[in-house]
Amino acid sequence: MPIKILSVDDSRTIRLIVGRSLRPYDCILCEAANGEEGLVAAAREKPDIILLDVTMPVMDGVTMLTKLKSIPVIMLTAESGRDNVIHIARLGVRDYLVKPFKEEQLIDKVGRIVQLKRKEVSAPTAAPVPAV
Amino acid sequence: MNVQTPSLDIRHYLTGHLVEVFETMLSMKVTPLTAGQPPVFIERVTGSVGFGGDTVTGAVYLHLSAKFANRITTAMLGLPPDEAIGETEVNDVIGECTNMLAGGLKSTLCDRGYDCAVSTPAIICGTSFVIESPQDVQHELLVFDYDGFRFAVEVHIKFNQTN
Repeated sequence: MPIKILSVDDSRTIRLIVGRSLRPYDCILCEAANGEEGLVAAAREKPDIILLDVTMPVMDGVTMLTKLKSIPVIMLTAESGRDNVIHIARLGVRDYLVKPFKEEQLIDKVGRIVQLKRKEVSAPTAAPVPAV
Repeated sequence: MNVQTPSLDIRHYLTGHLVEVFETMLSMKVTPLTAGQPPVFIERVTGSVGFGGDTVTGAVYLHLSAKFANRITTAMLGLPPDEAIGETEVNDVIGECTNMLAGGLKSTLCDRGYDCAVSTPAIICGTSFVIESPQDVQHELLVFDYDGFRFAVEVHIKFNQTN
């Protein structure tokens, strides 16, 4: 059964990068553009893991996190400072990833929490051999 | 109200951080220019993110030509360099790049005791506009080059010490 991942970020670009990073893996990606939409999506989709931005309009990631129950969260943040990292750790997230990040770093972090399996690549169909 | 400048070299920090953002997210090796005039654009896209708290307020601006903004967007989205991109995509990518720059600066300020929060990004597009700030606001302009595209990062920052 594929892993279900919810990406909550107001930036479509970041959601796109997350989707591109996860494309080789057997998983279903759901998206939301802010915390409020994220809570609705989390209740509906019941994801195995949530990738959550911090600064978003309508409802930020920290507020959304306080309303979530028992779903592992990786925070995606542009703020790398010591105080911010301590603050995020106290919120009970499983991990965090600082922007800018490389796609491999994202896969590494997600793969430590859920088991990512590469999609099976179907063998290329052999070209018909012309009759001699 | 006294104005205090903390032991933070904003130019040095932002130069390194911008180089990191462009290399990590866009695979672009940009060159900081130590001398020369700021770029003049015919058509310009500017990303801006504000930050504010009790002891510090300011904003970070990323100024790009429309052509380079398009190039950055294609690089971020993994598309061919000259592919035409919609305004929504360009604004989102430039906003996110500016957000990463401002987020790094915000963290550095917080770690030095200047607690502040950042805004969500905003985009300004146009052919001729100037961003001005009051005289008591520290102003830094950093110019960079990538493959003949010249672009700039501008920071307006004010430190306040309440007595």
